[in-house]
Amino acid sequence: MLRVLQAIWQADGAFPSGAFAFSYGIEGALALRRDMTLGDFEALVAAMLKRRWASYDRVALLWSYRAGGDLEAIAAVDREVEASTLIETLRTGSRRNGGAYLASHARLGQPLAIALRDDVQAGNCLGHIAVMQGAVWSELGLDEALAQLCSGYTAASGVITAAIRLGAMGALQGQGVLQRCLPLIEQLAAQEVPDDVELSSFVPFLDIAAARHAQADLRLFAN
Amino acid sequence: MFHALRVSDNEARDGASAARVGIGGPVGSGKTALIEALIPVLQRRNIDFAVVTNDLVTKEDAERLRRSGLIDPARVSAVEAGACPHTVIREDPTLNIAAGDELEARFPGLELILFESGGDNLASTFSLDLVDWWIFVIDVAGGDDIPRKRGPGLLRCDLLVVNKVDLAPHVGVDLDRMLADARQVRGTKPVIPTNLKSGVGVEAVVDAISAAVLFRV
Repeated sequence: MLRVLQAIWQADGAFPSGAFAFSYGIEGALALRRDMTLGDFEALVAAMLKRRWASYDRVALLWSYRAGGDLEAIAAVDREVEASTLIETLRTGSRRNGGAYLASHARLGQPLAIALRDDVQAGNCLGHIAVMQGAVWSELGLDEALAQLCSGYTAASGVITAAIRLGAMGALQGQGVLQRCLPLIEQLAAQEVPDDVELSSFVPFLDIAAARHAQADLRLFAN
Repeated sequence: MFHALRVSDNEARDGASAARVGIGGPVGSGKTALIEALIPVLQRRNIDFAVVTNDLVTKEDAERLRRSGLIDPARVSAVEAGACPHTVIREDPTLNIAAGDELEARFPGLELILFESGGDNLASTFSLDLVDWWIFVIDVAGGDDIPRKRGPGLLRCDLLVVNKVDLAPHVGVDLDRMLADARQVRGTKPVIPTNLKSGVGVEAVVDAISAAVLFRV
């Protein structure tokens, strides 16, 4: 049961990880589609989970998880994520989010987080959030299934919380969307991830929205 | 009023060598102006420092400091507040902690990092995970009843700065009464009146920072 409690602790929005400052393209998407309905938004979150999270963030998370604390192997995954993320604000946002996440775990005394934070500061590692989560969650004793569920849940809740804060929907409407995402997260997390699979992401609308967002004069989120 | 729990020596923030000082307060009270006024005094006193700004919707404060010519732009980091100016300094200060750690790694001799909060309200307070000591800035144009409202920011900060004292006669504020109210609600904690346009009170603020976190008197 302890590992389940650890997973709840890590998925809790109250755990300080810096995630609240990033919308991962949602702020730009809402600005682009002023007539977006709640149903459109829900479909967008589902597309993000299927086409970005499941095939990209989740794969990077598991590669890092399976590295078993090997700093060089984790850094190699990190470089792969860096090279595969086209949109600059998504790339830098992921690194900054990862840096904040490491800052939390390092302050809490987690030895691998301290080593990774030092590696990021030394330039040996980049600190992408999914990679750092995989590495640290492996050390905390979460199994692969729990690590994936935590990752999927935080990905969905993060963008929904961003949309609520932007005033696009009410808090309870957002929770409704999140609740309806849970079976999809479970279904996607059950898919096998072979070691030889490639990272892939294809949500061009969100990517374009994130790229346009970088040029916005006024914005509430970092990406 | 709640207070921060005392932390024993072995629980205190470790791994950081530069003192970290927060500067919070309502929108327009003069937080960025205070930093601009502090910079030349800190430089004259040979204090090695850097600044982290938290902007709510733009990077205006960071850009204002970077373009000011007062400080090496590399010593100014910007952290977006994700629409939550107090989350980024209180409930989840990790982005600011990481920005401070990164500045310390880049500038090994750093003695002091100033964290400027985004404009907020009287309930804004800094997490002691992030800072060792913090300043709250209000201004007389906000009204002389602000101290009597006893907001957590005003009560719990280590130093209260009452800015724009030169405006008091123009906005119908009894400055002496406002300062007396502020001192009365804060007990023994200090209050410094400033006029940042003319430099009134700036040396006293640097003296307070130096004594509190740099142990230079």
